[in-house]
Amino acid sequence: MRLGAFALKDVSFTLDQGQVFVILGPSGAGKSVLLETIAGFYWPDNGRIRIAGADATRSAPEARRIGFMFQDYALFPHLTVAENIDFGLTIRRRGSREGGHPEMEDLLGRLGLRKLMERKPATLSGGEKQRVALARALVTEPRLFLFDEPLSALDAHTRGALCEELKAVLGASGIAAIYVTHNQTEALILADRMAVLRDGELLQTGTTSEVFNSPRDEWVAGFVGVENVIEGRVLSIHEGIADIELPAGRKLEAVDNGAAPSSRVLACIRPEDVALERMPPAESSVRNHFPGTILSAEALGPVLRIRLDCGFPLLAYVTRRSYLDLGLTPGTQVVASVKATAIHLIPRP
Amino acid sequence: MRARTFGQSRGLVFVFSLFGGLLLVFILLPLFQMYARQTPAALIRIAAVKDVRSAIWLSLEAAGLTALIAGMLGVPLAYLLAHTSFAAKGLIEAVVDLPLTIPHTVVGIALLFVFGRTGIIGAPVNALTGFQFWGTLGGIVIAMLFVSVPYTVNAARVGFEAVDVRFEKVARTLGAGPWTVFLKVTLPLASRSIVTGLMLTYARSISEFGAVIVLSYYPMTAPVKIYDLFLQFGLGDSSAMAVLFLTVALALFILLRYLAYGGMVSRGPRQ
Repeated sequence: MRLGAFALKDVSFTLDQGQVFVILGPSGAGKSVLLETIAGFYWPDNGRIRIAGADATRSAPEARRIGFMFQDYALFPHLTVAENIDFGLTIRRRGSREGGHPEMEDLLGRLGLRKLMERKPATLSGGEKQRVALARALVTEPRLFLFDEPLSALDAHTRGALCEELKAVLGASGIAAIYVTHNQTEALILADRMAVLRDGELLQTGTTSEVFNSPRDEWVAGFVGVENVIEGRVLSIHEGIADIELPAGRKLEAVDNGAAPSSRVLACIRPEDVALERMPPAESSVRNHFPGTILSAEALGPVLRIRLDCGFPLLAYVTRRSYLDLGLTPGTQVVASVKATAIHLIPRP
Repeated sequence: MRARTFGQSRGLVFVFSLFGGLLLVFILLPLFQMYARQTPAALIRIAAVKDVRSAIWLSLEAAGLTALIAGMLGVPLAYLLAHTSFAAKGLIEAVVDLPLTIPHTVVGIALLFVFGRTGIIGAPVNALTGFQFWGTLGGIVIAMLFVSVPYTVNAARVGFEAVDVRFEKVARTLGAGPWTVFLKVTLPLASRSIVTGLMLTYARSISEFGAVIVLSYYPMTAPVKIYDLFLQFGLGDSSAMAVLFLTVALALFILLRYLAYGGMVSRGPRQ
């Protein structure tokens, strides 16, 4: 479908009951448009949307029984918390909360909302707003929950706490959810399955492990935080190991995943998988050791991001303790070690 | 910070204040003089005249009906203008603003072609039902409506545009159909702007003279009666009625503002 200059093309995925599906993508990738199409605010030019087995492609948003959470929660400012939560119920004439929803009272208690009932949304904190928005949607018993970057506008600390809370509520409710974000941590915490979206196209779908450790192409690799992407050429393959020739005459051994001999590849290594030693170990199961020099060390919270020159650029993450114990200051000579199993090969076009 | 900037441009502020002051005096002096020259005796005498009182009441009543109709017809149009986009939208918005640019007596003349004795609506309606738009409250309301409806439409449109579409989207996902969303979400959130528009419409209607006098000289609204008194008896009686009418209108507006915004302030923060 097209929306002005933007087009959503070829997006297909399925989701099972109780699963959380995260769509990861940068700004402008089409995440919100996709979500709002599923909710029914835009109609796709072709393709089908099936919810619980029924075709919902052309049904009105109010008929789809979908819960929606916006980034700023969109709580009705002219209504109290109680009226907000009741909104969906009074529409469907299922009576008020008091009417006979013991699970709902339970939920309200668990979310700590009882004391907020008469407050106006403008007076609530970010966390309280999220809980109210969740309750408001859950009360209508949706079959599917859609989240449009609900945590993006929050500071890192609040985001972490609310993310965990969201995970707990979703798990307890058992409702399938599609969660859209540009933040990898949220994807790692929440996703049962995930996909990467770019410019209106789904580039890769799978479990978090599959996407984060085996990115399909260079762009996905960069986006999911595989920061070492080294060009190389396959020299030979035997015993399930591919020998890769790297710049500056170095060689690398990686687990073969179907690369053709003499083909060009990209070797993808997550910085967390690069270990540093002052001296090369005498005997080790690790296949790859690259001598090199430390160029810089940058603090990233509890870890340090070490930039190395091993004949090719390499990034490693080490703990602060290791940094201090080993004295990994710029200029130091070290050996970077990477297990063959930690290297993911992508064919170069 | 502000003091410093002003300090540096003292000359400019002085000259501009002079001009501004001139303007303020220009506005206030006539009103002040008019009030100052009245005697309580003259005011009581004029208020005792039945025609004077019924003219004032007619103005208030007709303007009220006008605001009502303006709301019913103008608010839906404003909603469409705020929510849809189509090629002719700019044209339609210009048409809505047209009444603001037409001279008032010209408005009256034009309305006669539709609602007058030989008008394309006025004639058949008169033939079928005996009702006539000229020389009646109906004609007054028609004239007032024509000149004042742009205020309602524009204010309502701005109000609707200011309602974040996300509220409406969320309401839809919660199960509300388009009508419910409009009544329970959009309208309440835009209500402040709409009320402002209606009050402006009311104010504009009360003060209308040219269009009203062409369509319905009788029954006389307050501005028409004041003019009539002026022509017949000069400044004395007409200014007494003018002061009476102005005071009633101002008091009414203060009351309306309090009722409208006072209520809203207690209902919640505006967005």
